[in-house]
Amino acid sequence: MDKVIYEPNKYLKMGIKIWPQMFSEIIEFRELTWRLFIRNLGAKYKQAALGYFWVIITPFIAIGTFAFLNKAGIVNIGKTDLPYPLFALIGLTIWQLFSSGLNFGCNSLVSAGEMISKINFPRETLVIASIAQAIFDFIVKLVLIVVLFFVYRYIPSWKIIFFPVLILPILVLTIGLSLFLSLLTGVIRDTANAVTLLTTFFMFLTPVLYPIASDKHIFFKLNPLSSLINAPRDLIVYGYIADPMSFIISSVLSILIFLISWRVFHLVETKIPERM
Amino acid sequence: MSDFALKVENAGKKFTKSLKRSMLYGAVDIMQSALGLTPNTSNLRDDEFWAVNDVSFEIKKGDCFGIIGPNGSGKTTLLKLLNGIFMPDKGKIEINGKIGALIQVGAGFHPLLSGRENIYINGAILGMTKKEIDKKFDEIVEFSEIEEFLDAPVKHYSSGMFVRLGFAIAVHCEPDILLIDEILAVGDRDFSLKCYQKINEIRKSGVSIILVSHNEYIIREQTSKCLYINKGYKRFEGPSDEGITLYIKESLEGSRRKMHIEEQESLQSTNRKCARIIDLKFYDKNKNEITYIETGAELNIQLNCQINKELENIIFGINFYGNSGLMYCANSFYDNIQFEKISPGKISVNINLSEFQIPTDKYLCSAIIADDNASNLIDAKYMDYSLVVGRAKNTRGLLKLTNNWKIIKD
Repeated sequence: MDKVIYEPNKYLKMGIKIWPQMFSEIIEFRELTWRLFIRNLGAKYKQAALGYFWVIITPFIAIGTFAFLNKAGIVNIGKTDLPYPLFALIGLTIWQLFSSGLNFGCNSLVSAGEMISKINFPRETLVIASIAQAIFDFIVKLVLIVVLFFVYRYIPSWKIIFFPVLILPILVLTIGLSLFLSLLTGVIRDTANAVTLLTTFFMFLTPVLYPIASDKHIFFKLNPLSSLINAPRDLIVYGYIADPMSFIISSVLSILIFLISWRVFHLVETKIPERM
Repeated sequence: MSDFALKVENAGKKFTKSLKRSMLYGAVDIMQSALGLTPNTSNLRDDEFWAVNDVSFEIKKGDCFGIIGPNGSGKTTLLKLLNGIFMPDKGKIEINGKIGALIQVGAGFHPLLSGRENIYINGAILGMTKKEIDKKFDEIVEFSEIEEFLDAPVKHYSSGMFVRLGFAIAVHCEPDILLIDEILAVGDRDFSLKCYQKINEIRKSGVSIILVSHNEYIIREQTSKCLYINKGYKRFEGPSDEGITLYIKESLEGSRRKMHIEEQESLQSTNRKCARIIDLKFYDKNKNEITYIETGAELNIQLNCQINKELENIIFGINFYGNSGLMYCANSFYDNIQFEKISPGKISVNINLSEFQIPTDKYLCSAIIADDNASNLIDAKYMDYSLVVGRAKNTRGLLKLTNNWKIIKD
């Protein structure tokens, strides 16, 4: 029989011993996470006439826009075999994994409101399930990109099989930031608005729609998102990572942010139902 | 080997009254926890109050335990503490086994999804695996009686269907301890009955039940032990009957105090000069003064008055106003009793009710003196007295019926 004790600052007193518990909780509740994800997905498209078709409408519109910009000669990405619409779409797809993941994750606790204050279950599942939504959109767009490879008759390097590994750091960063920001949104609702605003403008400050320009300004080098987006894209465009050092530094940073946020989340998630 | 299912020691939970402060404190708490500082939670900051304070009790395995108290007494907060939704700010809560809670039905339901989908989601939220839900699925559907609408989105469900489905899922997730917050009142009579039958059934298999309500009938009927809390403090823990009697007495005193302030000024002072009510007392058959009586027992009422002027054809009346909204009365006018001339002085009017057959409830009592023309009040004390009528020991239900049993053979 499992025995549970609730007391003030319970998790804080556990110290380092909390980590195994946190990991086992995530594993134990993977089914719940999956169900919540399916629930969100189902509910999102159930009342839409076009249903799941919406998932691919957005990238198609994006492609059209980039193709037009390219034809008009407004953007020039330099020497690469990869057509610009594909280049931009890959960048945007990776960026949106981060930005929509962050926006979904941020609101995940608040939008579950009632449930959080009435039922006891690990709240991480809500955050992860909402980011899974962004992952789902990401995968759909990847399939579209592969289709476009055929359309443009572009053959990427075989090293493309490492693409999923190179995507992990930005995903870890997204989950990490979401865990922390969702808590903050629970206490101060302004957070969600700020995140929407910041992700919109930060996209232009990050080499998403244009190639990296670290020699132009020191900011591009310091922005960890630059290398997190560029490394996986480089793999498709060139077949190698242009700046592996900054990618490794950014990855380590992402993992640190994730671990700290997760720990903080676990410590204070019990305070969130009071503020709903 | 411990035989308790749940043990609460000096548990306390505080809340903030102001929303802005609540944001500030929330941010401070999060920061402190994040930095690894142990926040001292047992002191009150500005604008904070204890919603539950210093509450201790213990529940044994297989107990059906009631938590009773008026609105805002901290019942739901306490339940959320037991469920682990809130962490206590002081004290300790020990739980032996898996907890299932029904704090608000349909809290985890998604309105756009069908009943079928929601059963799986809600089951998962309550900690069931898909296999377990598959196994229980038919039982849940059958118990909740929603088969016909299983694939309709739950936003089109009636509130009764909502409750049925929520309850069905919660009881089928096989908890060791089941927490129920006055939700069964929503379903219709048939379903409430079915729920209580189910509760009794799982209780026999060793599940402890905690029932929260401000309705004393439910607590009395369903639980053997109860906890009575008021304003966050524990007032009583023990047998349900005793706890409820105390709860009723205290809430009566509260409402009487309120009434007193609004005491009628409408009575004409000239009338009052003729006669005044001094007080009203209740006695049992042994002439002991009482404030509590079992229904069906003998009751003697004594109305003490001061008569200042010779009066004729006077009417005395005593009204009992129940919590249920019903009124019962003993009135000399309706009993067709004509009193002779009463000369000035102190008198006591005695009324004997050999079988005081009124339903179990808490009653506020009014006493009146009126002219032969009943509308002309001489003096009245509205709801100034109280009497608690409890359930007779050797019966169930609200009344003790007098029966004659006989078997006739053809």
